[in-house]
Amino acid sequence: MKTLVLGLGNPILSDDGAGIRVAQEVEKKLDDPQVTVSETSVAGLSLLDSIVGYDKVIIIDAIQTKKGKAGQIYRMKPEDFSFAKHLSSPHQINLVTALELGKMLNLVMPQEITILALEAKDVSNFSERCTPEVERSIPEAVKMVLEELKCQTSF
Amino acid sequence: MKRITIDPITRLEGHGKITIFLQDDGSVANVYFQVPELRGFEKFSEGRPAEDMPQITQRICGVCPEAHHIAATKALDDLFHVEPTSTAKKLRELLYSAFFVTDHTTHFYILGAPDFVMGPDAPPAERNILGVIAKVGLELGGAVINTRKQNHWIIQTVGGRPIHPCFGLPGGVSRAINEEERAQIEEIAKQSVEFGNLSLKVFDDVVLKNKEYLDMVLSDTYTQKSYNMGLVDENNKVNFYDGKVRVVGPDGKELCKYAPREYLEHIAERVEPWTYLKFPYLKKVGWKGFVDGKDSGVYRATPLSRLNAADGMATPLAQEAYDKMYSTLGGKPANFTLATHWARLVELLYAAERLLELSKDPEITSTDIRNIPTAKPDEGVAIVEAPRGTLTHHYITDERGVIKKCNLIVGTTNNYAPLFMSIKKAAEDFIKPGVEITEGLLNRIEMAWRPYDPCLSCATHALPGQLPLEVTIYNAQGQELQKLSRGIS
Repeated sequence: MKTLVLGLGNPILSDDGAGIRVAQEVEKKLDDPQVTVSETSVAGLSLLDSIVGYDKVIIIDAIQTKKGKAGQIYRMKPEDFSFAKHLSSPHQINLVTALELGKMLNLVMPQEITILALEAKDVSNFSERCTPEVERSIPEAVKMVLEELKCQTSF
Repeated sequence: MKRITIDPITRLEGHGKITIFLQDDGSVANVYFQVPELRGFEKFSEGRPAEDMPQITQRICGVCPEAHHIAATKALDDLFHVEPTSTAKKLRELLYSAFFVTDHTTHFYILGAPDFVMGPDAPPAERNILGVIAKVGLELGGAVINTRKQNHWIIQTVGGRPIHPCFGLPGGVSRAINEEERAQIEEIAKQSVEFGNLSLKVFDDVVLKNKEYLDMVLSDTYTQKSYNMGLVDENNKVNFYDGKVRVVGPDGKELCKYAPREYLEHIAERVEPWTYLKFPYLKKVGWKGFVDGKDSGVYRATPLSRLNAADGMATPLAQEAYDKMYSTLGGKPANFTLATHWARLVELLYAAERLLELSKDPEITSTDIRNIPTAKPDEGVAIVEAPRGTLTHHYITDERGVIKKCNLIVGTTNNYAPLFMSIKKAAEDFIKPGVEITEGLLNRIEMAWRPYDPCLSCATHALPGQLPLEVTIYNAQGQELQKLSRGIS
C-alpha cells in the first residue's frame, strides 16, 4: 500500500510548523519503501497534487479551536471538515473540495485519508521553535502516526 | 480511539474582518477592514547569513514561495556586487515564468471564474471550482490540473525542489539543465501557450459575451482611479523578473520610473490607528487619505496595474490579447477592478510565451551558470513582480554578510489602501436604506476584493484550509445588526 505522510505548515512560524516537525521525526524512525514522508506549506490545489497516486495519506497539521488546549491532538477524517466544503474560499479551496475535484476529474485518489491536528498556541510570531506545550505533544503525535502506519501492514 | 468532535475556527484572529457602520437611515457611514499580521520577521532574520534569505523568505508565504526565492536571490546579487551569468538570469526567469503560469491558472479558475461562470448570486454551494467544471466541462478541469502539474515539474527540475526552489545563489544558480530537460520544458511551454489561449477564450465566452457581466465590469461600483505600478523592461513592456518600476497615473501619464535601489525615494508608508497594516503610498504625490484620483498617492500593484503601467507585452500573442482588452475597455489606463481577472489571463499567456522563448534560447543549456562573488557585501535591494504585486526585498549586512536589517514590501502590501477603498465603495453602493443584506450582496462586496487575491496572513494552509472572512454590520447606535461569515463556524 503506497502511503504518504504529509506534514503541513510553516516551519518558521512557531506552532504552525508542528505538522512538519512531526513528519520529520516520523521520517527518522521509518525504513519502509512503501511510505513516503513529505512536507509542504501550501494548500488547496497543491495539496491535491501532493496526494494524487497514493493509496493512503496521513496529514499532520496545526489547528486552532475555540476551546482547545495547546498541544491537544485530534484524529480526524476529511468529512469532519465538511461543514466548510460548500463555502467558497476567498483564497483557495479547502481539503474537501480538493478531494471532490480529484474524484470528479478521475484522478487516482487515496482510499484512506487521516488527519492528525495539533492544537496550536502561537501561529503569529516567526520562530523555528514550537511553544513548550506543543513541543511536549510532538512525541505523542509521532507515536500516533507510527500506529496509523502499523495498521496498514495488516491489510 | 475515541472520536472527538471539534469546532475549528482556524486562527483565532486569523480572519479578515470587514466592519461596516451604518447611519440612522441604513446607509453606510464607514467601513473598516482589518487583517491579522504575522510578526517579527525582521528580528527573525537579523543575525542570519544573507545567503539563507532565499530559503527563509520563501517560507513567509504559502502562496508564492517562488517569488520570494527569486527576489531574495536577486537581492543577494546586489548585496555581493556580482552580476549573474546570462544563462543564470535566463534559468531564473524561465522558472519564474512557469511559476506565473501555475499561479495565475489557480487564481483564475479557483477564485475568479466561479463568480462569472456560476453568477455572482449563485448559491455558494455551486459557486466554486466544482461548479465551474461541471458547467464548462471536465476537459477544461483536466487542462487546469495538467497545466499546473507540468509547470510544477519545470519548477522542480530547474529549481531543485518542488514549490520551494533551492537553486538561487548570488551570481547565478546551482544547476544547469540538459538537452533532454530543455526539450521537455519546450513541450510543456507549447501546451501552456495553448492553455493561455484557451483561458482567454473561456473569458471571452463567459464574460465578454454576457452584456450583464460586461456592464458589471465597467460599472462605477468597481471602478477606482488610482496610480498603477509595474515592472517594465527597457522598452516599457511588462516584465516579471527584472527592470525598472514604472508608475503611471489614472490619466495615463508616467509619474516616475525608478531602479530598485531608489525605492525609498518613491514609496512611504502610512500608519492608521485601527489596524496593524501599513499603507504604502507614493511619496511624490503624498497621502491624502483613502481617496482615488491623481492628487492622491494611493497606487495599485496588480495584474491590471502592470498592464496599465506598461506600453505593451513583450510577446506577440499576449500583445494581441492586450490590444483587444484595451479596445474593449475603452482605452488605457483601465480603472475597472474586475478587469484585473482579464489582465491576469493576458499575463498568463505572456508567461507561457516567455517560457517558450526561453526554452528555445541557445544559451539555456549552457553550464556557465555562476559568477563567484568577490566583493564585500553591504546592502542589496531587488524588485520582482509577484503575481499579486510588486515585491521588494532590501537587506543590509555587516562585512561578513550577516543580516543587520531587512525590509520587505510584499505584493499585497502595496494594495492595502486600494483594497480597502474597493471594499468600501462596493459596501456603500450595495448597502442602501431598506435593502436586505443577503449572501449574494456579501458576495458582491467580496467581488471587489477578490481580484487582488490578497495574501493577508499567508495562512492558507491552516485547517480547514481557507482564509475566513467576517462581515459585521453595526447601526448608528453601535449595536450589532448582522454578522455574516464564511469559513468560520
